[in-house]
Amino acid sequence: MTDVTAQTGSERTRRLIHAFTAQCGSILVTLFGLCAITFVIGRLLPLDPVLAVLGDDASQEAYLRMSEEMGLNLPLWQQFVHFMWDLVRFDFGRSITTGHFVTDDLIRVMGATIELSVIALLIATILGIPLGVLAAAKYGRWQDHFVRVLTLIGYSAPVFWLGLIGLIMLYAKLGWVGGAGRLDVLYQYDFTPMTGLFLLDSALQGQWEVFGNLIQHIILPASVLGFTSMAYIARMTRSFMLEQLNQEYVLTAKAKGASALAVVWRHAFRNIAVQLLTVVALTFAFLLEGTVLVETVFAWPGFGRYFTTGLMAGDMNIVVPCTLIVGIMFIAINLISDLLYRTLDPRLRK
Amino acid sequence: MKLGITAFSMALSGLISSTAMAATPADQLVMAWNIDAISTFDPAEVSEIPASEMIYNTCDTLVSQSPTDESQVVPSLAESWTVSDDERTITFKIRENAKFSSGNPVRAEDVAWSMRRNLLLDRRNAGTMRDYGFNVDNMDDAFQVLDDRTFQLKLQQPFPVGLILQAVVANRMSIPLDKAFLEEKAEGDDYGNGYLKTKTACSGPYVLRQWNAGEVVVLETSDHYWGEKPAMRRVIVRHIPEPSAQRLLLERGDIDVARDILSADLADFEANPDIRVQSILRSQLQYMAFDTSEKPFDDPRVIEAIRYMFDYEGLSNTVMKGLGIQRNVLVPYGAFGALGLEEGAPYKLDLDKAKALLEEAGYGDGFSASVYLSTDPISAPLAQHLVENASKLGVKLNIEQMASSELFSRYRGRNFESIMSIWSTTLPDAHGMVSRFAVNTDNSTESGSSTYPTWRTSWSDPEINKMAEEAIFEKDPAKRAEIYRKLQLRHMSSSPFVYLYQLKQNVALRKEISSYSAHAFRTYYNGIKK
Repeated sequence: MTDVTAQTGSERTRRLIHAFTAQCGSILVTLFGLCAITFVIGRLLPLDPVLAVLGDDASQEAYLRMSEEMGLNLPLWQQFVHFMWDLVRFDFGRSITTGHFVTDDLIRVMGATIELSVIALLIATILGIPLGVLAAAKYGRWQDHFVRVLTLIGYSAPVFWLGLIGLIMLYAKLGWVGGAGRLDVLYQYDFTPMTGLFLLDSALQGQWEVFGNLIQHIILPASVLGFTSMAYIARMTRSFMLEQLNQEYVLTAKAKGASALAVVWRHAFRNIAVQLLTVVALTFAFLLEGTVLVETVFAWPGFGRYFTTGLMAGDMNIVVPCTLIVGIMFIAINLISDLLYRTLDPRLRK
Repeated sequence: MKLGITAFSMALSGLISSTAMAATPADQLVMAWNIDAISTFDPAEVSEIPASEMIYNTCDTLVSQSPTDESQVVPSLAESWTVSDDERTITFKIRENAKFSSGNPVRAEDVAWSMRRNLLLDRRNAGTMRDYGFNVDNMDDAFQVLDDRTFQLKLQQPFPVGLILQAVVANRMSIPLDKAFLEEKAEGDDYGNGYLKTKTACSGPYVLRQWNAGEVVVLETSDHYWGEKPAMRRVIVRHIPEPSAQRLLLERGDIDVARDILSADLADFEANPDIRVQSILRSQLQYMAFDTSEKPFDDPRVIEAIRYMFDYEGLSNTVMKGLGIQRNVLVPYGAFGALGLEEGAPYKLDLDKAKALLEEAGYGDGFSASVYLSTDPISAPLAQHLVENASKLGVKLNIEQMASSELFSRYRGRNFESIMSIWSTTLPDAHGMVSRFAVNTDNSTESGSSTYPTWRTSWSDPEINKMAEEAIFEKDPAKRAEIYRKLQLRHMSSSPFVYLYQLKQNVALRKEISSYSAHAFRTYYNGIKK
């Protein structure tokens, strides 16, 4: 008996290792493909990186010198080798548009974006899932209609507009929340961020007044983002749930005399949890990838605006690493939800 | 747990208390501005308005423009200067107490090194120095160190001294930099360029303390400044890209100054007793350029017809309200030699005249062409307006909007039919624009003079070239102004450039700001008081 278990155990480990290496291989191929495409797009775009540095009034000699400095006179394959070599060493150089080292910039903007995205995701999940379940359980009743209208608004209202209205009402008229920016100027010098996640830093340093001010500033943009993401999560939850509630096992559970609450949460919800995980993970990826409009209205120094500004200015030193980050983020989130699937879904465990 | 509750209640009280008040500190200036354009603080590279403004507040030049009159040159780092009898040598005496922010004294060697550095680095601002006859070959003769406090500038060509002081000495490209300090910071032979991208090493009233791209620029007063200490100990420029958000911050009192104002908000600001608007005419023109090497724009009558297709007055009351004044001539109002306001804006909407001109040129049935635009907010509505009026005459114009580096690339490569863009000049003298938009001495493709819009449009007028040369070397100001007057009138209707508006800078200020010191080229942070 023990013999058999040991055998299946080693068999499982072997299969897991196999799956893991296959997964890694495919990730590497995907990443290489992503790099190659980014490189090609960078060369195909009609943007002139030399003029992005030197400006409209540059002399012809300065132009030629700079394009040599940037390696643009080399054959394409050599440029690609340099490009890959820099990427492997995480050396993205200085940004043309911000003058800073891209790695330093990225650490700063990613901190701002992660903080905003996590809070927005919390709001979206805490509200979205119960609302979706409620709508499905009360299918066709007023609760369902209410949720559907609410999510429709969340889906279709432009975030830019929502953000401005929010600022006018809650900041300018009522003064309940902070205005654009991450922190009031008054606090800017009392507080030295360490990780880029200001909320975490201020809490660790015990600076509660700063923490309060940070919350005041983040709450509105996070709510606006959370509201639109909530709409997506609630709609998906509702449709997953409706599908489950029409299954025969639900009927059986009801026939056994299980309460409505138990049927919904104990039986049906457990079956949609895995699917919901993917939805939440994807929402998070979209939030991280950039929320340019919200960042613009709220002057939030995040990843989305950084990426877009770089793109508009033809700053390939920014565009390349940002494209890769977005790519890696999606690959990672897919991978994590894949792994969680395996753990949570008993059918995939074998 | 108890700690958690205390923390929470403290955070909550912070939340409530800070909402109630909204005022900036009395000795600090908080400004909101879209400063996306800043890409460097190296004086050899800076060209865009925000960084340029900050550079002049952190870095002193030997002589400067007077805060009250940009055409007047006043002493700055140099307490005095003398001009030789032949007007070919200017000798500057540097202030004894002038120090860089590092504490190092400002020596003549720093001045000479910085000017040579600009030529050797050969970045954005080197071309301007070459325009005035200084280059790598003659720089050792041109920039001379007589002793620690005496610097001598030898003119290589007989330009008027006043012009050289304005265009070269008072310009950012000649800013004296801290040589000893930068040599320590240099990476390879970059002359400290890497360091200066995000820092300053100068002798001005302020020091660049912090620049987080897309977030904030913080300037603080320099401990070693030779002049009077500014009233504002710290200047914080917050990057707020959205004008509506700037407006809300200003109305709440969270900022003192808003720099990006929508035309539509101007009236509301004027009605608000807590806010006042200061309007400054910039040395910046909204214009169009046409490729004269191909049909239909090889015929000046077609371009003249375009000039009659804009409803300047109507636009001034709508899209351009508060944003600019009509200006149809290449020299901006306010510069030396510029035509008067009325004389410089003679065009009116006249579609019949435009039609007649097109017929004369053989385009009675119209034609089609493309217009390239950059992504600035003013070009699009103006181009749209032109497209509508042109279509009434059968002219089909197709607008293509693109990133400015793409637009410049096509424009410089003579690869366009027409463009609409903005041009800024840093010189309050007609020569600034004439040297770019009127002169073209070699129109051949081989010359590759892509710096000059005249070359880009394949246009050259020998008569204008002659007038420009006469003007630049004319020592009598009255005669010089007269040559420029004639040149402008000729250029206005014959060139491939259609000038539309001279742009304004509107600044909205909280009433607490008692004085805000600015003119077309500079804003003096040390003249701002609350």
